[in-house]
Amino acid sequence: MQGSQGLFEILILIIIRGLPATLALTLVALLIGFAVGTLLALLRVYGPREVRWISVLYEKIFRGIPLLVLLFLFGAGLLGIFAWTGSFASSLFMAAVVALALRSAAYQSEIFRGGIMSVDPGQMMAAQSVGMNGIQATRFIILPQALRLSLPAWTNEYAVVIKDSSLCSAIGISDLLYQSQAFTWTYPAEFFGIMLIITLIYFVFTYPVTKYVGESMTGRLRRLGLGGGKE
Amino acid sequence: MGLYFFAIFLGLGLGIGFAIVRQYGGSLTSRIATGYIEVFRGTPLLAQIFVVTLFPPALNAWLVASGMAPIDILWRIFLPDPFGNPSIVLNTRILLCAITLGLNSAAYQAEFFRGSMGSISTGQSLAATSIGMTRRQLIRFVILPQSLRRAIPAWSNEAVYLPKYTTVAYLVGVEELFAWAKLAAGRTFLTIEVYVLIAIVFLVLISIISWILEYTYNRVKIPGI
Amino acid sequence: MTKVIEVRDVYQAYGDLEVLKGISFDVHEKEVKVVFGPSGSGKSTLLRVINMLTPPYKGEVLLRGESLMAPNANLSKLRSRIGFVFQHFNLFAHLKAIDNVSIGPRQVLGMTKEEAHDVAHDMLCKVKMEDWGHHYPAELSGGQQQRIGIARSLAMSPDVILFDEPTSALDPELIGEVLQVMLDIAKEGTTMIVVTHEMGFARAVSSEMIFMDEGVIVEKGTPQHFFQNPETERAQRFLLRLEVLYGQAEDEKNSE
Repeated sequence: MQGSQGLFEILILIIIRGLPATLALTLVALLIGFAVGTLLALLRVYGPREVRWISVLYEKIFRGIPLLVLLFLFGAGLLGIFAWTGSFASSLFMAAVVALALRSAAYQSEIFRGGIMSVDPGQMMAAQSVGMNGIQATRFIILPQALRLSLPAWTNEYAVVIKDSSLCSAIGISDLLYQSQAFTWTYPAEFFGIMLIITLIYFVFTYPVTKYVGESMTGRLRRLGLGGGKE
Repeated sequence: MGLYFFAIFLGLGLGIGFAIVRQYGGSLTSRIATGYIEVFRGTPLLAQIFVVTLFPPALNAWLVASGMAPIDILWRIFLPDPFGNPSIVLNTRILLCAITLGLNSAAYQAEFFRGSMGSISTGQSLAATSIGMTRRQLIRFVILPQSLRRAIPAWSNEAVYLPKYTTVAYLVGVEELFAWAKLAAGRTFLTIEVYVLIAIVFLVLISIISWILEYTYNRVKIPGI
Repeated sequence: MTKVIEVRDVYQAYGDLEVLKGISFDVHEKEVKVVFGPSGSGKSTLLRVINMLTPPYKGEVLLRGESLMAPNANLSKLRSRIGFVFQHFNLFAHLKAIDNVSIGPRQVLGMTKEEAHDVAHDMLCKVKMEDWGHHYPAELSGGQQQRIGIARSLAMSPDVILFDEPTSALDPELIGEVLQVMLDIAKEGTTMIVVTHEMGFARAVSSEMIFMDEGVIVEKGTPQHFFQNPETERAQRFLLRLEVLYGQAEDEKNSE
C-alpha cells in the first residue's frame, strides 16, 4: 500500500466528489434532450411539410458529430456564450450539459418518432371521431401511448448518456471518471482497484435499469395491448 | 481511420461469434457470452480504454517492484507519411486502443446479430433439421445468411457510431483525426473554426459510410427477408 | 413386406398436458398412411415425434429397424432419411426455389454442386415447378411453395415422407395442385404418412387410415371401412362433421 489511504476510503472520496456531477449531467441533459427531442419528433411527424426538414437536418447533424467534438466546440470554442452563469466552472458545466443534451435530443427525437409511428393509426381516427382536434388528439391520445411505447428504447438512451457523460472529464468536468483518474495519479498502486470499481459503478447505474425497466415495461405494454401488434 | 477499420472488423467477427454462442451455445458458454456483452455495454468506453491502455505500464511497475524484468512496451513501427517523414503507425497504445474499441463494438454488434437471429421463425430451423442438417449446418447455411442480411440496417447504426467513438482514443494519447484538430486549434487559435471543420469532416465521413451500407443492403436484399 | 417405420408405445407431453398417450403402429414399404382426427388430437405432434423434432419422453421409434432414440444414434443422418413437409412450407427464405431443393443433397448428402443441381432440377420437374426455380419463396403462391417443399424432401430420396397438414394453410383453389403432386408420388411407390382431412386423397391412395383423438388411436382401418361403417362413435361423429363441411362446399360450388 503506497498511499496513506486505503482503497475503500479512496473510493468513497471519488464517489462523493464525482458522482453528483455525473448524475447531474445525465439528468439535466436527458431532460433537455427529452423536451427538445419530443418537439422535434412531433415536428417531423405532424409538422407542416415545409418545416419537417429542420428536424431531419437536426438529427443528421447531431447524430453525425462525435460527442467529443461537440464537447470541445462548446467547452472551448464557444465557452463565452455561457459566461452569464457567473463562474468558469458553471460555464463549463453548462457547456457540457448543452453538448450532451443537443446530441441526446437528436437520438430521443428518433426514439419518439418510432413511438408515434407505432401507435395504431386507428387511435387518431377514433380520437377525431369523438370530436377532438389534432392537438387534443396528439396531447391526450397519441403522446401518452407513444411515450410508453418508447420507454424501452428510452432507457437505452439513458444508459448511453450516463456512460458518455464520462467523456466530459476530458474538458475538465469533475465527474466520476475525472475523480478516479485524479486519484490514480496520486495512488498509482491502486490503479486497477479504482478503475475496475468505478467502471462497475457505471454498470450498476445502467444494467439493472435497462434490463428490468426495459423488460418489465415491454411485457406490461404487451399485456396492455400496446405492443404494436407485431409478434 | 485505421482504428476504425480494425475495430469494426474485429467487432464484426467477435460480435457474430458472441451472438451465436449467446443464442445457440450451451448454458455455460451462453452465460459467459451474455456476461461479456452486458459488461461491455454497461460501462463507459472511456473507462475501458483507460483500463486497457494503462495496463502495460502498471504491469511493468508491478514486474519491476517484484524484481522481474519489465516487458518492452515502447516498441513502435514507423512508416513514411506523404511528406517522407517517418511517422508512428503502430505502437502498444494504438494497438490496445484498437483492440478495446473492437471488443466494445463486438458487444454491441453481438446484440444486433442476436436480435436478427431471434427474429427468424422457428419453422426455418425445423425445416433444416428435418432434412438432416446438423446444428452447425443449420447455423451456417440457414440462420447466418438470413440473419446477417436482416441485421444490416441495425448494424449500420453501429458502423456510424464507431467512427465517432474513435475520437475517444485521443484522450489516451493516440494521434487520430481529433488529436490533429486539437493541435491545430491550439496553434492557430481558430478554435471554433477548427472544431466546426472537424465536425463537417465527420458528417461527410458518416454520410459516406451509411450510403455504402445502404447500397450494400439493397444489393443483397432478398424478397421476403 | 419390410417395415419402414415402427412406432412403439410413444408418449409425449407439453408440460402437464399429455398429447400422446401410448401410440403404436407400423408403416410398411410403399404404404400410404393417412392420420386424421380433431384438432388437438396429437396428429402433428405424432409426426414431429417420428423424426425427433420433439423427442417422446417414453416409447421408441425405429427406422428400418434402427432406433432413433438410441444414445449413439446419428440423428441428423437418420432424419435425412425421413422427409418432412410442413403445414406452413417453411422454405428457406434466403434461397431460390432450386437452391431450397439442392441444399440438402449438396450439404447433407455431400453431392457435388452439379449433381445436387441435377437432382434438384429433376425434383422440380416432378412437382411441375421447373420454370420457377429462380424465384425466391416470397415470390411464389402458397401452392407453389408447398410443391417446392415436397420437392425439397423428395430430393433427399428419403425412406418415408411425413406430411403435416400440407394443404390446410392453402387457399381452396390452390389445394388441388398440391394434392395432385402427392397423388403422383404416392402412385410411384413413395412411403408416406399424411396428416390430412382431405378424404378424397385418403380414399384414392391410402392403404390404412388412423383416426386419433385425445392422444390415442381410436380406430384403424381401410378407407372402405371408414367410409362405409366406422365402428366407434367418435369416428362416426367426426366423419359426419367432415362430410357436412364437404357437402356445404359442394353446395356453394353448385350455387355459383
